[in-house]
Amino acid sequence: MLRVVKPKNARSKRALEAREPKEVEDPRTVVFVRGTHTGEVVNNVMKELMALKRPYAISFSKKNAIRPFEDISSLEFWSTKNDAGMFVVGQSTKKRPNGLTMVRMFDGKVLDMCEVGVENFVSMTEFKTPKATPGHKPMMHFASELFDTHPRFIQLKSLLMDLFNGEVIDQIHLTGLEHVISVTLAPSPESLTSTATFDTSDDTKSLPKVHIRGYTLRLLASGVRTPRVELVPMGPSLDLALRRHQAADTEVWKLAMRRPKMKKTDVEKGLGKKKKNLEVDEMGDLRGRVHVAKQDLGKLQTRKMKGLKKGHEGEDEDEDMDEDVDSGDD
Amino acid sequence: MDVSGILAVQAQKQKSIQVEKDIPLDIDVGFLTVTDLNPIDKESYEENLEAFLQSTARDGVQALLTSLFALPTKSSPDGPLAQLPPPTTQLPRAKPLPKPKPPTKWEKFAKAKGIQQTKREKKVWDEERQEWVDRWGWKGKNKEVEAQWITEVPANADIDFDPAKEARDARKARVAKNERQRLQNQARAQGGNAEREERKKDIERTLATSRVSTASMGKFDKKLDGEKKLRGVKRKFEPTENSVENEKNANLALLSKLGGESNRPRRDTGGGDDVVNVRKAVRFASKGQGSASLARKGGSDGKDRRKGKFKR
Repeated sequence: MLRVVKPKNARSKRALEAREPKEVEDPRTVVFVRGTHTGEVVNNVMKELMALKRPYAISFSKKNAIRPFEDISSLEFWSTKNDAGMFVVGQSTKKRPNGLTMVRMFDGKVLDMCEVGVENFVSMTEFKTPKATPGHKPMMHFASELFDTHPRFIQLKSLLMDLFNGEVIDQIHLTGLEHVISVTLAPSPESLTSTATFDTSDDTKSLPKVHIRGYTLRLLASGVRTPRVELVPMGPSLDLALRRHQAADTEVWKLAMRRPKMKKTDVEKGLGKKKKNLEVDEMGDLRGRVHVAKQDLGKLQTRKMKGLKKGHEGEDEDEDMDEDVDSGDD
Repeated sequence: MDVSGILAVQAQKQKSIQVEKDIPLDIDVGFLTVTDLNPIDKESYEENLEAFLQSTARDGVQALLTSLFALPTKSSPDGPLAQLPPPTTQLPRAKPLPKPKPPTKWEKFAKAKGIQQTKREKKVWDEERQEWVDRWGWKGKNKEVEAQWITEVPANADIDFDPAKEARDARKARVAKNERQRLQNQARAQGGNAEREERKKDIERTLATSRVSTASMGKFDKKLDGEKKLRGVKRKFEPTENSVENEKNANLALLSKLGGESNRPRRDTGGGDDVVNVRKAVRFASKGQGSASLARKGGSDGKDRRKGKFKR
């Protein structure tokens, strides 16, 4: 455990304050860690991912004896030391060649992990095309129905979004949108589409491959305000296979998903949980709508007249007779 | 006039930026993310992988851009900025939510009184120098009196009255007071000192016992200044009308207390006999002195009896 540091001057105090929990968080700093053995492929993959992640990336370029699924103490130490919210650990063994493990942290502790194997890798340098400016926010594209249904892919999507795109911003310069990271799955096999429940056992053979591609945008005039988009491959392109994973503890996950209390002005703007029957008009006044049950017009009391009385309807024949008599009198 | 040609051209333009999918794309504009939940088409996937990936990505990005360009913009020196809505996808936080700062004593008071906080400017206008000077700090306005070369001295001042020192001391005292209050606020924020509270309670209990320990049980004691009236245990009565459930529970609790195992050994401690309550008997015989005194008296007891006989 790290000792509690007490700032001795204003600069270190500011640095410590920057590390304190914030309501709206900065993007996660990602530490790229090399394991005991990393091959050329893993090294290059980490280098390229780092290039995409800059400036929120730290490289641990020396070898580290670390096995994320067995011992997490080093990760937790590094997390507090570097103020890092995420790790990408590269490790290549005979049993699991070209492995990358994404580890997400919460409050200095490991939240969840997912290991992927790199099966195919094409570097950015092999595409002789323009590259995106470092530090620009990428767009993300996910394609497959499994991103909505399968727990492994839900986790993968969440991890990748956190890795590349986790920052909450309130405005963006549209010309600054330069590249997109596309994550597409191979066609989902029968076993995943037919059965409603998935076996969560580590049978990763049946899981479809993941294709990650980087593209730059080329905007063409379309005649209307929105331009037509064409994509140009930028790289890196990765084909991944899912391996081991560790889901988050439900209690910790619940803590990590807590949101700050909404400000009153935001709620009035209509953000947050939709409140029924409440709306803000153009003047900014909150207006409520009250629902009254549908009125039964049959019971509506109109002008009372002898002829409309209920009793008359009950006895059909007599009524008819009476009416006849009445008309006769007239 | 035939406008069908113009309309057709317009429709053609629109077509180039429109994306049609079986399941509409799930767009999270806040995170610039689009999710295509349509199943992957196996044929085109196997036919040409890269082309397939690129075309799916293009469709998704086109849809995302369409919604991005539809956002309201705000002008800035660098060009128009699109105002993004908050993201709909929830990602876990990296650190727990910040705890709200505990209010200081002043803040609590101000809130209770409805006092609005006003921002105090750091600079104040100096009439003599005709410029803005700092309120405190280097060459601050608060050091004006001690720095000026001539000061008015009250008529009844001591012979060694030093106005500069006086002003400086007052200023230093204000700083010290502020620091003390800051530390007190900090201590209060850390939560009540449990040990101190315990000690306080202890002292109060001792005081209360000693006050009623005089011959008159404190009735004719000299009252001290600011001494509070002793407060005993206030009796609390149940409401006369109670719900059946509550009444039942209370009665059951009472019953279990009466018949409970926990009460038995206590009754038996006095001795085996059920008829005589030995504890009570001892107390009665020793006139409340306890069994020890009864044992002490044991020797003289015989004498007494003899005396009694003699008397008789």
